[in-house]
Amino acid sequence: MKTREVELVVGPREPHYVGDGFRVHNFIPSAYRLDMQRMNPVIMMDYNSKFNFPPSVRPKGVGVHPHRGFETVTIAYKGKIEHHDSSGGGGIIGEGDVQWMTAAGGVLHKEFHESEWSKKGGEFQMVQLWINLPAKDKMSKPKYQSIANDKINRFNLADDKGEIEIIAGEYQGIKGSATTFTPLHLFNAKLKEGGLATFSFPTNFNTALLVIEGNVVVNGENKVPTDNFVLMANDGETFTVSADEDSIVLVLSGEPIDEPIAAHGPFVMNTRAEIAQAFEDFNHGKFGFLED
Amino acid sequence: MNNFRLTSFLTSNIDIDKNNLESMVSQCKTKFVKKGEYLLKEGEKCKHSFFVEHGLLRQYALDDKGKEHILQFAPENWIVTDRESVYFDQPSAYYIQALENTNTILFEESLILHLSKQDPLFLEFNNKLLHNHIRQLQRRITLLISATAEERYLDFVRLYPDLLLRVPQWQIASYLGITAESLSRVRKELATKS
Repeated sequence: MKTREVELVVGPREPHYVGDGFRVHNFIPSAYRLDMQRMNPVIMMDYNSKFNFPPSVRPKGVGVHPHRGFETVTIAYKGKIEHHDSSGGGGIIGEGDVQWMTAAGGVLHKEFHESEWSKKGGEFQMVQLWINLPAKDKMSKPKYQSIANDKINRFNLADDKGEIEIIAGEYQGIKGSATTFTPLHLFNAKLKEGGLATFSFPTNFNTALLVIEGNVVVNGENKVPTDNFVLMANDGETFTVSADEDSIVLVLSGEPIDEPIAAHGPFVMNTRAEIAQAFEDFNHGKFGFLED
Repeated sequence: MNNFRLTSFLTSNIDIDKNNLESMVSQCKTKFVKKGEYLLKEGEKCKHSFFVEHGLLRQYALDDKGKEHILQFAPENWIVTDRESVYFDQPSAYYIQALENTNTILFEESLILHLSKQDPLFLEFNNKLLHNHIRQLQRRITLLISATAEERYLDFVRLYPDLLLRVPQWQIASYLGITAESLSRVRKELATKS
């Protein structure tokens, strides 16, 4: 197996607010060399690095907005998020939980700090990803996969050096808890000090890491500190991540969807005409209705 | 200034040669306003027409009770100004405020008058813009005095296809002259129909 080298290490950009509740660093698609096609099928990554939100009686967050043409994956590391959508669904994403929403043909949703958590405030840390859908599935029916932390399948590293939470895809023969439309691996590597994990994905799979906690070394030589993003090259399969201290690393690797991308705001389609149609449908209520 | 939206806006509307275009654009200033900042406040004299390169402006008036009434939104490629102030030199009754970080190009009224005298093509172009503006205002008045909330809303999304994503609901309701509750009801009814 050929080694997959590090292509780029990207530090967190200046944060911006999504609504008033998510203070995020965007990596995909706004960082240099991280446009939507480079990490396709992962076409957006917003990272709320650890941030202390003061107590607020009115939960902070982002109001009703639509999505079409992709899936949103929300991973909560600290804090709690409450969400509601136009199909009547909703729920709470607690620490360690993952919510996988297939917006596909279209949903309206809103996301806020969970109201009890909001009253106390505290440390908040989360990742939101947008996962592209192939053209044939872009207009399919919306659905949810709520994956509570204790339901996430795990692989335990030898000598109690940590564990790999397999959110989607497969690691060492253990399958992920979420189903995906195209081949995609999504793991939380929770490594203890001195722990090392080896990953191997087909060369053409676009692959990246985000260091959520701690400091790690990739392939024994590339030091990567907290809150940094690592784009792996498409020049090999296998790489290692070792932890200098207790660390959490989000690992993503997916087979590119070889189709054109037309994106505008919350819609990601294949053509401009489909974007115009999305606006038309949204304006005319075809995404349903959700109270602000 | 070749990469500005303004230049393609002009060349797509007016048969202007390159030198004239450059000279005209070079006489305009650009201004960046942060979200929430004002280009005009009530009581001031408005000196410019504002062309939106990137971002979003709104023009509104405050009533005696302090309630906002939105006359116009100006996203990319739109022009907004207070005609009574800029042309008739009266203190403005309006606010023009950025709803997003906005890059604008400022047209001084004197430049517009000068170009209109100097260049018949520019005069024709400016006439066309003014007539278009009057046409939109006539349509807006008719809708306000005769149309249902749903008809006003549907006209709004035809005119401003992407603003529903950029502007809070209460401001759209203010523009439409209806309450936020009515707008919510209209959108709910449309969703149920479709």
